[in-house]
Amino acid sequence: MPKVIIDGKEFIAKENETVLNVAERNGIYIPRYCYHPALSIAGNCRMCLVEIEKMPKLQIACATTVTDGMVIHTQTEKVKKARQDVLEFLLLNHPLDCPICDQVGECYLQDYYMEYGLKKSRIDLKDKNRKPKRRDIGKHLILDNERCILCTRCVRFCEEVTKTSELFINSRGDHSFIDIKTEEKLDNDYSLNIADICPVGAFTSKDFRFKERVYRLSSTSSICLSCATGCKIKVQHNNGKIYRILPDPNIYTNTWICDNGRMSYKITAGPDRLTKSIIKSEEHHLNKAIIKLFDILKEAKEKNLKIAILLSDYLSIEDNFALYYLGFEILKTDLIYASKEKEQKIEDGILINKDKTPNSNAVSQISKLYGIKKYEDLKDCDLLIGFYDDIEKLNIPKNKSVALSYKADKEYDNLIAIKTYFETEGSFINWQYFLRKTAPSVSAPTDTISVYDLCLKISELFGYYPKEKELNKIFNELKYKTED
Amino acid sequence: MEEFIKILSPEYINLTLSNILLNHKNDIYLIIETVLKIAAFYGGIMSLAGLLTIGERKISALMQDRIGPNRANIFKFTLWGLFHPMADGIKMIMKEDFIPKNASKILFTIAPVISMVPVLVVFAFIPFGNYLDLGFYKINFIILDSDLSFFLLIAISSLAIYGTFLGGFSSGNNWGILGAIRAQAQMISYEVVVVLSVLPVIMIYSASSLSDLTLKQSGTILGIIPNWGIFVQPVSFLIFFTAALAENKRTPFDVVEGESEIIGYFIEHGSMRFAAFMFAEYVEIILFSMLASIFFFGGWQVPYLNDQGFNLGSFFIPINHYLIVLMQLASFALKTVFFSVLVIMIRWTLPRFRFDQIMRLCWANLLPISVLNLLLTALIIRGIK
Amino acid sequence: MIRTKKIESKPLNFFEKIYIIEVIRGFSVTLKHFFINLFFPSKIPTISYPEEKVLLPGNAKLKSRHRIKLRSDGTPKCVACMMCSTICPADCIHIEAAETETPVEKYPKVFNIDISKCVMCGLCVEACPEDAISMDTNEIAGGAYSRFSNFQKDGLFLTKNELFIKLKDEKISKLGAANRLENEYGERND
Repeated sequence: MPKVIIDGKEFIAKENETVLNVAERNGIYIPRYCYHPALSIAGNCRMCLVEIEKMPKLQIACATTVTDGMVIHTQTEKVKKARQDVLEFLLLNHPLDCPICDQVGECYLQDYYMEYGLKKSRIDLKDKNRKPKRRDIGKHLILDNERCILCTRCVRFCEEVTKTSELFINSRGDHSFIDIKTEEKLDNDYSLNIADICPVGAFTSKDFRFKERVYRLSSTSSICLSCATGCKIKVQHNNGKIYRILPDPNIYTNTWICDNGRMSYKITAGPDRLTKSIIKSEEHHLNKAIIKLFDILKEAKEKNLKIAILLSDYLSIEDNFALYYLGFEILKTDLIYASKEKEQKIEDGILINKDKTPNSNAVSQISKLYGIKKYEDLKDCDLLIGFYDDIEKLNIPKNKSVALSYKADKEYDNLIAIKTYFETEGSFINWQYFLRKTAPSVSAPTDTISVYDLCLKISELFGYYPKEKELNKIFNELKYKTED
Repeated sequence: MEEFIKILSPEYINLTLSNILLNHKNDIYLIIETVLKIAAFYGGIMSLAGLLTIGERKISALMQDRIGPNRANIFKFTLWGLFHPMADGIKMIMKEDFIPKNASKILFTIAPVISMVPVLVVFAFIPFGNYLDLGFYKINFIILDSDLSFFLLIAISSLAIYGTFLGGFSSGNNWGILGAIRAQAQMISYEVVVVLSVLPVIMIYSASSLSDLTLKQSGTILGIIPNWGIFVQPVSFLIFFTAALAENKRTPFDVVEGESEIIGYFIEHGSMRFAAFMFAEYVEIILFSMLASIFFFGGWQVPYLNDQGFNLGSFFIPINHYLIVLMQLASFALKTVFFSVLVIMIRWTLPRFRFDQIMRLCWANLLPISVLNLLLTALIIRGIK
Repeated sequence: MIRTKKIESKPLNFFEKIYIIEVIRGFSVTLKHFFINLFFPSKIPTISYPEEKVLLPGNAKLKSRHRIKLRSDGTPKCVACMMCSTICPADCIHIEAAETETPVEKYPKVFNIDISKCVMCGLCVEACPEDAISMDTNEIAGGAYSRFSNFQKDGLFLTKNELFIKLKDEKISKLGAANRLENEYGERND
């Protein structure tokens, strides 16, 4: 175990650890561009120079491994001067695009300039290198070569993470620029991570382009529901509108997230978002819709019609159990169905799961615990309550069903507008058996309701007042892990 | 029937009228005189009160390096803002007359009236000049002279408290009620001090009517100083001035209204109702100024001037009677305006007292001093006699 | 850390306690102002707007209604960087950005200023990196002498139509993106 001294304080480091890692672990920040914890070390930006005693020159902290008794200084005048000079080189040909650049607020150049630079450019405007700007480089990305500082994080990402190697450095010297291989587009499933890891505004997201300033966004930790992997994400929003989704890197599940998951926020706002419930082809406000639905259910119950209830892999544990409770305890029906167990594995070796539903792990456990039938057994029924996506897959007459939906669909007679999991809480068990909760980041449209609340209200109308304990007992019976 | 026609005939009426004129000549002169005096005196007071509203704004502006209101105009003719009282009046009349739901309607309606009436009635006892001898008739410049006018004045003016108290209590607003409670406490306390502070003057001049009091302030002390209350009883004047300010609820004793932050008894009164309260305040300022000048500055007296002319010790300058009357009227008017302006200026100079400070000032300082003053005066008068 | 400053008030002496002398001292101050202003009214610093207008020195005059300057080709200088709406303490500026074909890339699709919320602090002008927003129209928004609808609430809600204007005899300055547009990119397009 080597002992090192950084800025006068003694730390114990691990074997073969780099100076930057030791410093970072102990709360000493060393500026960097090319270093990224999840990528290989390139050491080409020279921003992380530190002074190490008994070494004649400054060393880069990201690629120097510690040895016993090493004495490192990160804040001396010499180091600061070196960083200033490195920054001046990096900014030499950088355009003054900040007012129109989307990176503002999370731009390493801006941050370090405020810390180390604060100098005027010594080069004339006309002598600056010109490089291609505003290049449409793929489905999700726009590349601005003038802003690039050639840290090669993007090149390494495509080589090491996606293993598609679309990007390379073209030309030489100060004319070199990031380019894409001929006849190719940067269309891999993880391309938007490049916009995240780019320390400057060279790669920006088309989806987020010019929508909002980064420093105005607030962040809410949640989980991605586009597949069974259940990546942790940060939902970034402002004034009740979600603008983008970023990965929330963690050691358990994910460092990145896929482009598909990033676009999943679009269900919250869009032309086809269902904002008002439709009962018997008529739009109703929330309270009236609940009463109308109650009337339908009551009538069906009195006539002894067959009411079927579908549990859904897309809904949270609470919602599923509330649905089950509604069917079993209140409607007294035994026509409750759930999907069969699905095969869960990472398809592409990175993150995307074969199982595209977020909660099949929990639902299959519930169906085993309570002996719930499979979808295939559903032969005929008079009334069906279930999640929109599930009903779509089954061959059920659409006028017989009450679909809980985010999406407006004119083919259905009965649609209940429910809250998305960006707007309400829900627990999910991912393929690794981790129990994680979504967190509401924005407020839902006024006439929507969560499935849990809907079931609760209908039970109340039927005269049952289920206690919270009764509905939450399911968590004692499920098998899951937590992260701590 | 015939007799009735006879009565209605023009000749008969002429005859009756001339008979009445002959028999009741003096009564009719008195009626005409009183009506004219009321019109002139009250007209003067009302217009002065109106001018004080604009005066207050202009004076405060000048004291604070501002211009003050100057935009109200008739055909672009602004007259230094003199149209503002008119504009204010029109605005007050045009505003919605609003009575809150919880308010007691009758009391709410009459409260502003009650606050105005006693103050206006009191002016009847005020001598605003000596007399005018027209040869065939002598006019006294006082609307209603009475031997006990001082005590009547005290009695009637203390009724004004009902206006403020009803205004607060009838509005059905807790803040209004709190304001009214503060007003009651303050006004009743200072009422005592006002009376006690004036009594020594009454004792020295041994006159219980205001006209008598003014008359007795003629002449000089030691031939130089005018024989005015201020020179005889300076302490009395200071106490009277302070206490009267407090009774008028003027700054620095205006926690009752606290126009800028606390809320007063007339919080729920709007439009003309509020105007009545505010107008009453300005009329009270005028009353206070007149009383101050009568008690301590000789009322209509001009220094060294008697019925015939100026008497400066050995000199004597005879002056026309009409000129003397004019000078006396002008003297009274000037003193009144001076004190009114002084009161306004005090408002824009001094900060407000806390309520506990106000009460302590009254009961712990002014009251003992005035009682002592009263006792000393009584002793001295007794000793001299 | 909370810092406290202890202020020691000294007790009043006898002359201060009897008030009268202090009252006279107070009077001497207010009366001085009163008489100076009464006899020399021209010394009162008030300016009777709009009859009198005073051009104040420096940036102080730039506190009238906002506008967005235009480039020589008529497009707004604004690039929708949102600096002004970020710094605005009254939160009265609303901008929606969009993409344009010109090399500047970004322009404001929606630019609204709610003058009824505005506190006329001028921070937006200070913050603007493109020298686009300015308060030099010499108009009071919504006021009697404004160019647009008077005394109406609508007159206080400025949209693109009211904001993107050119003043009379205005020289187009080549600061910010306008400069880049005409110098740098002009060269490269050749």
